[in-house]
Amino acid sequence: MSNSIKENLISSFPDIQVEVPEKDRLKINAEKEEVISILSYLKNKRYGHLALISCVDWMEEKEFELIYILSAYLARDDEYTDRERLNIIIKTRIPRDNPEFLSVIPVYENAEPYEREIHELFGIIFSGHPRLIPLFLEREYEIPPFRKDFDNRQYVKDVFDKIPSVL
Amino acid sequence: MRELELYFGPQHLGMVGNFSITLKVEGDRIREATANPGYLHRGFEKLMEYRTWIQNFPLVCRINVVEPDHMELMYAMAVEKLANLEVPERAQYIRSIFLELSRVASHLFGLWAYANMLGFDTVAQWAMYHRDLVLDLFEELTGGRVYHIYIWPGGVRRDFPEGFQEKIVNTLHSIGGCVPDYDDIFFNNRLFSERAKGIGKVTREEAMALGATGQVLRATGMKYDIRKVEPYAAYHQVPWEVPIREEGDAYSRIWVIRDEMIESVHMIFKLLDKMPEGKVFNRTPNPFKWKIPAGEAYVRCESSRGELGLYLVSDGGDKPYRVHFRTPSYPHGLTVLEKVLKGESIADVGNIMISLYVVAPEIDR
Repeated sequence: MSNSIKENLISSFPDIQVEVPEKDRLKINAEKEEVISILSYLKNKRYGHLALISCVDWMEEKEFELIYILSAYLARDDEYTDRERLNIIIKTRIPRDNPEFLSVIPVYENAEPYEREIHELFGIIFSGHPRLIPLFLEREYEIPPFRKDFDNRQYVKDVFDKIPSVL
Repeated sequence: MRELELYFGPQHLGMVGNFSITLKVEGDRIREATANPGYLHRGFEKLMEYRTWIQNFPLVCRINVVEPDHMELMYAMAVEKLANLEVPERAQYIRSIFLELSRVASHLFGLWAYANMLGFDTVAQWAMYHRDLVLDLFEELTGGRVYHIYIWPGGVRRDFPEGFQEKIVNTLHSIGGCVPDYDDIFFNNRLFSERAKGIGKVTREEAMALGATGQVLRATGMKYDIRKVEPYAAYHQVPWEVPIREEGDAYSRIWVIRDEMIESVHMIFKLLDKMPEGKVFNRTPNPFKWKIPAGEAYVRCESSRGELGLYLVSDGGDKPYRVHFRTPSYPHGLTVLEKVLKGESIADVGNIMISLYVVAPEIDR
């Protein structure tokens, strides 16, 4: 299963790297310009379930990595095939000093809260997103808190040590 | 008619957990709903980057209060994948039995929440009592009632104690014996069906577009269950059925949950019969010196709410580099809920939210 998709992908997108690291997983490394077209291509191939959008801060390489994980819903109601077993992991890197990316909501509607979360926790701006407003946090942060240069323990010391103790 | 803004939760009788919804209403009808998570954001995923691989176990089970065991399983499975650890056959069976018990406990807790919200206090008390019986089993096996830290990379922490299998069977029989009573007083009760039928309807196309899994999808007739789609632990060893319904409303979602509980109990009996002898864990390296090779893993399982996934990255060090949980309540509570609430009445908000089986700590993490 993964091999046939791999061949199809390489023939449609010659610039991408496709690996099969283990059974039922397919890893795609793509340039950021190609991500949206790969996602719509795979959606048309019935990989309609966007399970997760994640982000990793590679501080030393001065890059953010965005990860899109796709899988397929059942084609028939009571049949389980290799197609649904497969998870496709699409990865792309964007520069850390200019963290901007296109929103994938036009392709996958349920990307909306994931992008909002990544905007809030990593400070990545998704252009085309209808409401990039805070999701979880209530305070303002100078450095978005999930970046690697944000030091949790220092922050706790700086902010909460200033509150007068009740004792 | 004048449009009003209404805050539903976190202090509201119909709201279970710390979650709130801002409603724009006109008269009794909802024009627009906005979910406001974040009351329980504890930043677990960031905290885990500061702790060693093994130190994270007490953290990971606290992400979701209602079903800690699936969270443990996800983390253990991802660590096993990155570190290339094998799990013995018997441990796989014990994991499945343990996780199914936890599913029953979690569904009973969900039934408590639902019945309580609808005003079926008797059913709520029964469900809570029966959940406690399952927690007694957990306490004997692991020492903890709610948080167990039982599933471990390379297996489970200990084998079943003497006579434990009979205890599981007896407890499940005593809970299962009450199913006709539950049916009479709750599931077949007209008071319940009148309130839940046709409420919060999600069509299959909507569910698929919005990333729904679990009961939300199964109530629209698709047998999508990760235990079947990509079997883990010992789920492929015994035959079992995925319960479904066709209507896609709140009523059918609760019936899927009810049928799933019964199927879980049958599955536990089958697994107990087939369980092999042998050791229950493979030794892991010294946890103080344990470094896991650089790499990444995505693992997934079917928690009692839907597809639970974990994306774990290691940079070759003694701590995880990045942890990200894909929790089922995240799409259900944010995307699906906002869409489904449009056009419903204010009185049904709690009803719809609990029938979507949203658990706030899982969204916030």
